[in-house]
Amino acid sequence: MTVVIGMAPPAHDPAAPESATTLPVGTAATVRAYVTGLLRRHRTAFAVLVAVNAVAVVASMVGPYLLGSLVDRLAEGARDLHLPVTVGAFLAALVVQTVFVRMVRLRGAMLGEEMLADLREDFLVRSVALPPGVLERAGTGDLLSRITTDIDRLANAMREAVPQLAVGVVWAGLLIGGLTVTAPPLALAVLVAAPVLVVGCRWYFRRAPSAYRSEAAGYAAVAAALAETVDAGRTVEAHRLGGRRIALSERRIKEWTAWERYTLFLRSVLFPVVNITHTTVLAAVLMIGGVFVLNGWMDVGQLTTGALLAQMLVDPVGVILRWYDELQVAQVSLARLVGVRDIEPESGDASVRPDGRDVRAREVRFGYRDGVDVLHGVSLDVPPGTRVALVGPSGAGKSTLGRLLAGIYAPRDGRITLGGAELSRMPAERVREHVALVNQEHHVFVGTLRDNLLLARAGAQDAELWAALAAVDADGWARALDDGLDTEVGSGGLALTPAQAQQVALARLVLADPHTLVLDEATSLLDPRAARHLERSLARVLEGRTVVAIAHRLHTAHDADVIAVVEDGRITESGSHAELVAADGAYAALWRSWHG
Amino acid sequence: MQIHHLPYADPGAPDVRSGTRFLLWLGRNQLGGQVKSLLWGLLLHLGIAGLPLGVGLAVQAVIDRSGGGLARAGALIALMGAAIAVGDTMMHRTAVTNWITAAARVQQLLARKAAELGSVLNRRVAAGEVVAVSTGDVEKIGWFVETLSRFAAAATALVVICGGLVVYQPDLGVVVAVGVPVLALAALPLLPRATRRADVQREKAGRATELASDTVAGLRVLRGIGGEELFLRRYREASQEVREAAVRSARMWALIAAVQVMLPGLLLVVVVLYGAKLALEGRVTVGELVTVYGAVTLAHHPLRNFEEIAMAYSFSRPSAKRAARVLALTRTTTSTQAAAGERPGGDLYDPVTGLLAPAGLFTAVVCGDPDAAGRLADRLGGHPSEAPESHVSVLLGGVPLDELPLDTARSAVLVQDKDPVLLSGTLRELLDVPSSGKVTADEALAAARCGDVLDALAQASPDDGGDPALTRITERGRSLSGGQRQRLALARSLVTDPEVLVLDEPTSAVDSHTEARVAAGVQRLRAGRTTVVLASSPLLLDLADRVVLVHEGRAVAVGTHRELLAADGRYRAVVTRETEEETLVDIEESA
Repeated sequence: MTVVIGMAPPAHDPAAPESATTLPVGTAATVRAYVTGLLRRHRTAFAVLVAVNAVAVVASMVGPYLLGSLVDRLAEGARDLHLPVTVGAFLAALVVQTVFVRMVRLRGAMLGEEMLADLREDFLVRSVALPPGVLERAGTGDLLSRITTDIDRLANAMREAVPQLAVGVVWAGLLIGGLTVTAPPLALAVLVAAPVLVVGCRWYFRRAPSAYRSEAAGYAAVAAALAETVDAGRTVEAHRLGGRRIALSERRIKEWTAWERYTLFLRSVLFPVVNITHTTVLAAVLMIGGVFVLNGWMDVGQLTTGALLAQMLVDPVGVILRWYDELQVAQVSLARLVGVRDIEPESGDASVRPDGRDVRAREVRFGYRDGVDVLHGVSLDVPPGTRVALVGPSGAGKSTLGRLLAGIYAPRDGRITLGGAELSRMPAERVREHVALVNQEHHVFVGTLRDNLLLARAGAQDAELWAALAAVDADGWARALDDGLDTEVGSGGLALTPAQAQQVALARLVLADPHTLVLDEATSLLDPRAARHLERSLARVLEGRTVVAIAHRLHTAHDADVIAVVEDGRITESGSHAELVAADGAYAALWRSWHG
Repeated sequence: MQIHHLPYADPGAPDVRSGTRFLLWLGRNQLGGQVKSLLWGLLLHLGIAGLPLGVGLAVQAVIDRSGGGLARAGALIALMGAAIAVGDTMMHRTAVTNWITAAARVQQLLARKAAELGSVLNRRVAAGEVVAVSTGDVEKIGWFVETLSRFAAAATALVVICGGLVVYQPDLGVVVAVGVPVLALAALPLLPRATRRADVQREKAGRATELASDTVAGLRVLRGIGGEELFLRRYREASQEVREAAVRSARMWALIAAVQVMLPGLLLVVVVLYGAKLALEGRVTVGELVTVYGAVTLAHHPLRNFEEIAMAYSFSRPSAKRAARVLALTRTTTSTQAAAGERPGGDLYDPVTGLLAPAGLFTAVVCGDPDAAGRLADRLGGHPSEAPESHVSVLLGGVPLDELPLDTARSAVLVQDKDPVLLSGTLRELLDVPSSGKVTADEALAAARCGDVLDALAQASPDDGGDPALTRITERGRSLSGGQRQRLALARSLVTDPEVLVLDEPTSAVDSHTEARVAAGVQRLRAGRTTVVLASSPLLLDLADRVVLVHEGRAVAVGTHRELLAADGRYRAVVTRETEEETLVDIEESA
């Protein structure tokens, strides 16, 4: 084994964020306020835990005390040891200790679980209230990692660290108190040993939390590399990447184990410090006490009791050290969870109501970053019932315009109105009664097929759900399912094909029944062969609605009432198919190469 | 094996006949480490056992009013303290090293297995299992490996301590020697129930996490359509179920903790009662009584290991079994002709459909039936969906492709799936694939019209220079749009520059404007090479040297796009997506 004198942390830190955190992280003040609130909500349970714990610890000190008095009497050469009384007291204390230790464990777990449940439910409540614009921009990845990884890390802290630390501190305090009560000079022993422990722990805890975070991230990266190799099996084989994937996995193993080695070094410093502290306390109690007894200032029984109490200090100190860094790691996760609370929910103005169904964009300018506009003064009229197709090259701003028309983003300049009322001032719940964005994201939720439909119209009867499925041509396969609407779908349940998933998404639209739809590449990620079947379903959903379609393929644009060509953030051409072909501009050129 | 020597140059060939054999194989490979850990552990436990001896001696010394005795007791405690500090630290170091080296070894074996299996994984249930072994089972196996030597040290130490007590103080020692095994085994019957409850809790927690992450993953849908309350209610219910299960589990653990307080306590009462009587009779000294009492209170240190090893074993057994099963997987396809060094070339021919792609030409394939197209792509890529015995391989220059060594076959023919995966890493790493070396990354990116992707990546670039090659592409390219992902994947295939490149719907998510330019770029870059594209977009078909129509599983027509458009009604129907009716209207309009 190499002897390590000192060691620097590895250069590569797997916990360093690879991509910018897209959502805010809570400040120290918000985290503190949150924790205070959480503790206040559970203060009774906390008080009970501390009280129960105190009883258990006091009961555990009865044994050493009884032995001490026994030793006294034996040392004095007494003939009557009052053994029945001693044993009776011993047994009584043991029963109390047993009962209360059980209560401490149980109360601690109950408290921890309640705080944890509060925390995770609270987080989801906040998450589902996030403004659609924030979600669209930030994506759900960051949020997803918070609800899985961070909640997971906090689970340990809440479930164990918080109650155990409370227990450990009370425990150690009472033992030291007991030592002092037994014979005040013995408390000096604790003072002798404490400085070593304090210095060692400060050194350790300054380094440990971030090192453990990196170590965990490094280990997760090992598993992630493998998961990707598995997931991309076909690609790996086709491109003959096997060797490179193995090399990547091994590099990740090297990075992870470097952190394991570093944290092992940290513990190689901490462990001797803790061990030496314990031995020092014990030795000091015996030596100080021994000298006092030899000089007749103390009884041998007090010495015995003191030594046994000093021995018992090992457990609470271990508990405190074990859970303290867990709590520090948890703080980081907590800040990430609490950060979501810092996002102001855009409540909107409930008094803004549309009067009519016409959608209008007037001189709309918009950009994702300051000073860089993606749309440069776009104006577009969409009268009720018309179909507008937006065509143009990638990156021209079609999708951005679509999101503005669906009320997800607010224009930086200019206005987008629905029935004369400004879309961006309405609450999201109001906007979606009128306008829906249909994109490639056809998420199938874990749960029954019914739940997947009900979300669009809470309280709908089964007959309505079936009608919606029939409207998108999905009732055929849905009726063939063994459990019908009760079939569990989504991850872990029955896997729907992408086309079926998209049909479910369309059936939701039928149920939600908005009068205006913005279609963005709704079928583009599908196999073109499956897309054809789906377009029939889509066509039936579109009947009678106003449609703004971001048309990807020319044949979808062809049938639109108005085709608007978007190039470089501007609408450069607009008109019907026949008009644009006659005008012989960009659209006409493309149409010719398409149609031959 | 030291940690800083990891990873292993060769993780070895595991014994995967069963989970137990796999564990044994791991153990055999770190025998030295296990022995070291055991010996250090022995030092630790004997050091701890020595403390009460010191306490007893000190107490006796003050009773005997001997300053020298007190000092000797102090020295003994200091010595024991040193033994504990060294033993504890070194046992921890060696045991942790055992777990890390075992975990690294298993992860390496998994990585090798995954690379070897490649596409086979996707078709078997095994994909999930490999990941499950890597994320969960390795830790459990490692835990057992780490615990094993600590347990062995604790068990050995207990035997030595009990033996020592019997010698040191026979009357009291026997009582302790009888009591300790009871303490060691008492909690074990409760463990299975406790772990079962813990399993239920974990399962429910997993379900709640799944619901939460599923809700978040679909949050944009929820915010766009509604239903937040429905999902919140569902999650609250799941979350409360977790809480109840956790408390139920805690009840069991609390009971175990109580038993672990009560039984040693009872033993102590017996020791005190009996010991006091013996002391009164003068058969033991007061110091000896204190020593025995102290030894019993410290016995819970080694005793804890009994509980831990029982749990580690019960957790690691199913894990080891699964790991062995995964590592035992093999590819079923066998290469009969070991045509080493020989690089096949020539026309690509599929005997099943009769599809012929002449060497050096750009062939487009149009399929009326989506399933047949899927099967054709699978067959070209060497992933036959039919039973092995009825499998007929695609021929390249007359040589059956699936009978060649895998590496040779894949380097001769590259099939880009309909859903190619972008592996995470920087753009540079993404395009760093085995290749002919003749096509540069820049050429490939330009041909696939990735300009807008490069702009987006440059904006997100970590360095000030805005070099897109250094920007990380997140897993599966989720930060990019569908069309951007397709074009990057295409660029990667172009860099590879294989003899034969088969592309399955490479531009289905790309808009018409860009598609026309991509098609032209591919045609230019692949000039003189064999390229096959399965597609239905006229913009692509128009650029192909030849277009083959596959109808009802057979190649029925060959020609250029324009020729087929003019001559073949079936072709027109597939390509222009017009129903008979609309075609009729078109004709009337143009008339």
